[in-house]
Amino acid sequence: MANSFTGSNFSRRGFLGLAGAAASIPLLAACTGGSSSGGGSSKTLKFWNMPWGNTAFNPLDKKITEAYKPANGLPAATYQEIQWANFTQTFSSAVASNTGPAVSSGGGTQAFQFESQGAIAYADNLLNSWKNNGLYNDFLPGLLDAMKVPKGYAAVPYNLDMRVLWYSKSLLSQAGASVPTDWQSFLDTCAALKKIGVYGYGTSAGAGSYTGGHILVSWMINNGGGLFDSNQQPNCVTQENIDAMNFVLECVSKGYVDPASPTYTSANAQSQWKAKKFGMGFDTAGLAQNVGGDALNDLVVGSPLTSPNGKKGALYFPNNIMMYKNTPSQQGSEAFLTYYYQNMSPLWTQATGIGLPPLKSITQTKEFQANANNVKVINEWQPISKTWAAPGGTALFLGVTTVDGTPAMDTFTQSILGGKTDAKTALTTLQNTIKANMKS
Amino acid sequence: MSTDSIADQMGPAKRGVGVAGSGRSAGPRKKNTRVRAKAWTYIIFTAPALILLLLINLYPVIYAAYQSLRNGTLIQGGDFVGFANYINTLISGNLTPAFWQAALFTLIFTLVGVFGSWVIGLVLALLLRTRIPAGGVFKVLLLLPWIVPVVVSAFSWNWLVATPQSPFPMLAQALGLGNVLFLANPTLAKITVCVFKVWISFPFMMMMMSSALASVDNNVYEAARVDGAGSWQTFSQITLPLISRSTYISWILMTIFCVNDFPTIFLLTGGGPVGSTTSLVVLAYRTVFENFQVGPGVAIAFMTTIVLIVVSVILYRQIRKASVE
Repeated sequence: MANSFTGSNFSRRGFLGLAGAAASIPLLAACTGGSSSGGGSSKTLKFWNMPWGNTAFNPLDKKITEAYKPANGLPAATYQEIQWANFTQTFSSAVASNTGPAVSSGGGTQAFQFESQGAIAYADNLLNSWKNNGLYNDFLPGLLDAMKVPKGYAAVPYNLDMRVLWYSKSLLSQAGASVPTDWQSFLDTCAALKKIGVYGYGTSAGAGSYTGGHILVSWMINNGGGLFDSNQQPNCVTQENIDAMNFVLECVSKGYVDPASPTYTSANAQSQWKAKKFGMGFDTAGLAQNVGGDALNDLVVGSPLTSPNGKKGALYFPNNIMMYKNTPSQQGSEAFLTYYYQNMSPLWTQATGIGLPPLKSITQTKEFQANANNVKVINEWQPISKTWAAPGGTALFLGVTTVDGTPAMDTFTQSILGGKTDAKTALTTLQNTIKANMKS
Repeated sequence: MSTDSIADQMGPAKRGVGVAGSGRSAGPRKKNTRVRAKAWTYIIFTAPALILLLLINLYPVIYAAYQSLRNGTLIQGGDFVGFANYINTLISGNLTPAFWQAALFTLIFTLVGVFGSWVIGLVLALLLRTRIPAGGVFKVLLLLPWIVPVVVSAFSWNWLVATPQSPFPMLAQALGLGNVLFLANPTLAKITVCVFKVWISFPFMMMMMSSALASVDNNVYEAARVDGAGSWQTFSQITLPLISRSTYISWILMTIFCVNDFPTIFLLTGGGPVGSTTSLVVLAYRTVFENFQVGPGVAIAFMTTIVLIVVSVILYRQIRKASVE
């Protein structure tokens, strides 16, 4: 989940007020009679979208939305940008009070949370209709499966947030190291980089940065492991995961990981890449753009590594768009989404900074093909990437909210990257915390 | 008008003495009626504000208390679980270790925040009383940490300490202290966060102490000097007792600011590493909005509030005692 947190003045009173206000909403909603067509009085369809890219993203997205001309009798769409700051509260209170959107994007696991609360309109009919217009088959492999819950499709894939291996061409060349292809060659490259005073495993796990934890799970998935079994229960203490974490601990103990990285923000990590202190590491597909300057030409996406088990894999986040039961017209929601998906390609072709596209047709445009790193991510990383549900399944589910940007995951990540634990202890603690949080 | 002044005026009224003094023309009965009418006027005029305050403050608090007794989420009420959230947090739940760790850090953070900023604020307030050139400029500059938005301060401090190339780690390296991890080492992270809090807060204390010192009559110091009191004696026996009321008030306020401080910690460390700088308010936030456990999160907030009220009452008694003395 791409969740950039911005600070806000927060006090006990504010917290209680907020918690109380959020808590009071079900009561207020109950007083309204819980009409499923609440919010439909205006007869417009509310589309809420997040600031997924740079400053150009939302204006263009709004333009696309407002250009929608509904068929007779169907509602027009209105556009609302929702900030990442406190977005969970924004959506929760809106949905609970029936004042929320009919269609929205949001956090990567948001649809599954609301699905479990009965607030989501399944996308099965919509996706069936897309089998006729080519959209259904246009999705990249595995994306639609990630949205499927037992009762239907909870959402439609929207943009992909990938975690991939990056390296600095100049630093690898300076160190006389080769681009790694498996875990052993990763260690070798790290060792070579260390000789020139550069870290080979660049990462961050500080305030608001969840990348460090994502990469730990990526190592597990790479080794055939992951956090959940096929029954969607936590299964962290497996040999695959222990081996993967021992590998990371080896990187830590050999000095390949910057010892300050457990508390690095994303900005700190980017400054380390810029200062050429990170020569290799894992980050989002947009790292080169985020670092900017020389990095645009110097940073290159590596190929997925092969683990000692002979497997490839990584964690990724298929962000999505969901439809809510609270809509003036379900048919209207579906018609709008059909229009939106058929017309959203400028969000990628005009470089608005949004994550990678979910549709093959967009990845084949000449604008997208012009970025060799993005092409490599789509061609090599997307097919082998898995969701939080790995290794037990492909589809996301409510339980993954216990690990997606949670204190349990932060503690686990910081303890591993701090090197002050052993793999089994850390994984056991994580397992117990996830279990307890899923129960409560 | 404060309730004290209403009571002050009603006291003599009850004894049959009018607000404007005793008079033969108005009998006790007539005066009682007038006072009662006056009291009703006060009630009527203050009622709208009181009702608004109750709606804004009390209703959410009561509803939050109700939520702390349930196992709901942000959008679902959940089932009634009694005091299970409190018991699980305090004694036997998966949150218990994190709660006590956060409670200990909150205590340290508050003690250092209150007394650290008070000492520095008082010293600076005393220095600013002396005739120094461009004293006004210094005052403004010293106020900057309090004026600058905490988001900006947090980013500045992050720049100062986060990476090995940051100024403070570079300085430490130059002094032969090695690679000092100001944020990544749990103990140093605690110290850094506390120092950051003191840095943000001392201007407030400086202002409070400056105004308290300004209210002390210079003749007292003259008398002390005539009596042969030294600097330390003057400070400890005269200045401190005379500013004790303001001191206690500033301690109460700063205790509340520290216990409730969310952005300072959250923006600098996010509560890490490994939860070492997680305070109770950060823990409550993360429990509700990241773990989606509303009941336990609100229970933590309530327990924090109760402790805060107790501490405030104790300090308030000190204020009254100081006033009497």
